[in-house]
Amino acid sequence: MSSPEKKWKTVESGPHSYEEALHPVVRKNYGQWKYHEIPKPGVLKHVAHSGDTIYTVRAGTPRQDTVDMLRRLCDVADKYSDGYLRFTVRNNVEFLTPNGANVEPMIRELEAMGFPVGGTGMCVSSVSHTQGWLHCDIPATDASGVVKSMMDTLYNEFKGMEMPNKVRLSTSCCAINCGGQADIAVVVKHTRPPRINHDHLATICELPKAVARCPVAAIRPTVINGKKSLMVDEEKCICCGACFGACPAMEINHPEHSKFAIWVGGKNSNARSKPSTMSIVAHNLPNNPPRWPEVTEVVGKILTAYKAGGRPWERVGEWINRIGWKRFFEETGLVFDNDMIDSYRHARTTFNQSAHVRF
Amino acid sequence: MAIEVNGVSYETDENGYLINLDDWNEDIAKVLADGEEIEMTQAHWDMINFLRGYYDEYQIAPAVKVLTKAIATEKEIDKKAASEFLYGLFPKGPGLQACKIAGLPKPTGCV
Amino acid sequence: MEGAQKAASDEVIQGKDGGNGKFLNPTPMLDELEKGPWPSFISGFKELAERTEKPMLRGVMDQLEYSYNTKMGYWKGGLVTVDGYGAGVITRYSMIKDKFPEATEFHTMRIQPAPGLHYNTAMLRGLCDTWEKFGSGIITLHGQTGDIMLQGIEQDKVQECFDELNQAGWDLGGAGAGMRTAVSCIGPGRCENACYDDLKAHLKLLKHFVGPLHRPEWNYKIKLKFSGCPNDCTNAIMRSDLAVIGTWKDAIQIEPEEVTAWVEKNGTDALVNQVINFCPTKAISLKDGEMVIDSRDCVRCMHCLNVMPKALSPGKERGISLLMGGKNTLKVGVNMGSLIVPFMKMESDEDMDEFIELVEGIIDWWDDNGLDHERIGETIERVGLKLFLEGVGLDVNINMVTRPRDNPYFKARY
Repeated sequence: MSSPEKKWKTVESGPHSYEEALHPVVRKNYGQWKYHEIPKPGVLKHVAHSGDTIYTVRAGTPRQDTVDMLRRLCDVADKYSDGYLRFTVRNNVEFLTPNGANVEPMIRELEAMGFPVGGTGMCVSSVSHTQGWLHCDIPATDASGVVKSMMDTLYNEFKGMEMPNKVRLSTSCCAINCGGQADIAVVVKHTRPPRINHDHLATICELPKAVARCPVAAIRPTVINGKKSLMVDEEKCICCGACFGACPAMEINHPEHSKFAIWVGGKNSNARSKPSTMSIVAHNLPNNPPRWPEVTEVVGKILTAYKAGGRPWERVGEWINRIGWKRFFEETGLVFDNDMIDSYRHARTTFNQSAHVRF
Repeated sequence: MAIEVNGVSYETDENGYLINLDDWNEDIAKVLADGEEIEMTQAHWDMINFLRGYYDEYQIAPAVKVLTKAIATEKEIDKKAASEFLYGLFPKGPGLQACKIAGLPKPTGCV
Repeated sequence: MEGAQKAASDEVIQGKDGGNGKFLNPTPMLDELEKGPWPSFISGFKELAERTEKPMLRGVMDQLEYSYNTKMGYWKGGLVTVDGYGAGVITRYSMIKDKFPEATEFHTMRIQPAPGLHYNTAMLRGLCDTWEKFGSGIITLHGQTGDIMLQGIEQDKVQECFDELNQAGWDLGGAGAGMRTAVSCIGPGRCENACYDDLKAHLKLLKHFVGPLHRPEWNYKIKLKFSGCPNDCTNAIMRSDLAVIGTWKDAIQIEPEEVTAWVEKNGTDALVNQVINFCPTKAISLKDGEMVIDSRDCVRCMHCLNVMPKALSPGKERGISLLMGGKNTLKVGVNMGSLIVPFMKMESDEDMDEFIELVEGIIDWWDDNGLDHERIGETIERVGLKLFLEGVGLDVNINMVTRPRDNPYFKARY
């Protein structure tokens, strides 16, 4: 490792400062906002107590961006929003301008550049997702490709505001689910125990660490061909892939046996019902690049049923709570099966401990 | 990749970690330390010996907090000072440099 | 799959061939992702590669195409960092570099953005210029923890790249068993519901914990997320070990004329069906046709404020709730954060210092009582909340539970 002469002494500065990144109108009215409106999809209008107004134009991005693309977004910001822009946690870009006359030209320019303007209010916003085959060391799929395929089919739902409430999506390349809980989540589900590379295991893994990582104590030390290694009790294994993160020789990914599952009803907002975690509603979907049609089809079925049956302000999980899981499966055409009955810790809390029955 | 020590070639991975942990000896450690631009002092050797002893006993490298706690106890300093001391010895971090010089496996994973 | 068989041949793929005179090799699978209306990351990568002709980009595209054919990933980890830091660079080596030599190294630098993900174009252009000089030019905005992800750099350029970024005010993000990069919502920068200055709190906290962020040495990671109100736009309750969520103590502020205007526009049905019926604690009622909120029943869920943003706003006595232990599935199952501090002021510098002290106490307790690779929520799951409260010195509060326990199995101290 050759290191050239050091000229710069590191400043451990932490996050970049934000004040210079705020539009002057934002700085002036910081913490003094009164209300907001959504004049049209993709546009927000915030009014301050001072009477000042700031418009936001929001557009979708691929998240996996390039310097070329970001420079183009900077050009838009320099032209229409005084050189200020920001991003949302759903990977949308936002341009804030006090000048209402800039809104329409900016929308036209963004659309012409291929950035869909939308992502506001009761819409399907962009997908929170993971790195996948492009960069991750443990992925079973490429979330970016799944997201692109999914958002192609949901393009108009991103640009419109016709859902009962906002719909947040996520996609994850392994069961760790870095994409997170969401109204609808597309998450890899491994279906076979790890395949163990006994030749390399002892040199690339710390055995006790891999043993300790297993949530069901299915991994045991063993000796194979005179080399220290590990074995998996395949009856006990729940195919979570936790060991793979600790030990790359525990190969959990498989081109055919790593499947997709679809989950619904995650909600982090406290609005109305308490935040909720997701439930599995479809699994055994193939990992089918480059367009994953089986996955986008199931997501489409759920969204169609929700859009038709949800009441204003009901999130996906709240809609299901009202109509019941029985009707959810009927209306989406998905099939409930015995793998969807929880068998992990605290499973009984998900059983129906009442005589409430839906017919 | 490989390194040569006393005329013998030893296999390493792309980060310079020994492939065969049994190959390790003090001469190899010195060559590995050279590669990290670290001049081995007694304090360095103490740390390397601690790591190897721990690994022998538990078959895992100790968590960094085990190292800092050991240093803090021995030197009667607080955890923050112990951390500074540790990074003073191994500027690119104990995981990267101390484990390498001690001939331990490369730490894995980002989650 | 037909594609998998095709890609299984062992030829080394490198250099300009078969790309119709273009820099890139053919990538028929990836090209499928250029179709459709949503902006295509593949089109972006191709544009960048054809313009800059960086071999790494060609190698990575080839390897990605190979992954699409074989349905497997081919990156392995390693350790690359900068002087004085034990974390912040995510190391990636190709497992099949013999096949794709140009993809041998593809490391990521995690960079901490400004709180609220605010940029001015000078900042962003500078970042792009430095990144194009040393790295691939691929950037993710943003990673799930909240970092700018500069994807694709070789080990021997990392230090120089970092030095240039650092001079422009950027610092590396977290990785490993330490403090991680934080996320905050837009907060007082635009939102009328921001109950505290989450941008300032984010900056202050993360500056305070900059040491353990760069030199990880705890049991495992700690993530902080800052949401200005209980709508929790940063997903703090699920995605962070310490969720700092804005709230208020007193009554919701009501502008009666705006309530009337809302009802005139949307009708009484909407008031009943969309506002009153959705109140989780039935705190809203109609009295002589007027909307009345009983503050003692209100749990500050945000719903009515979301529906009537002009008419309703948070109360004046504002601060934060602190929730602890959120994390995703591995290994004990999904854990939501649970409430440990119902209300704390977060206005003055003293308030924030007090908050930092509390967070330090929490982390110290966990550092002493947690096991290796155990998130704080998992530690609580194992040892119980009672031990934690005693250890940290927090007073027990009924808001910490949904109800008292339903079993008698504890040792009484009387």
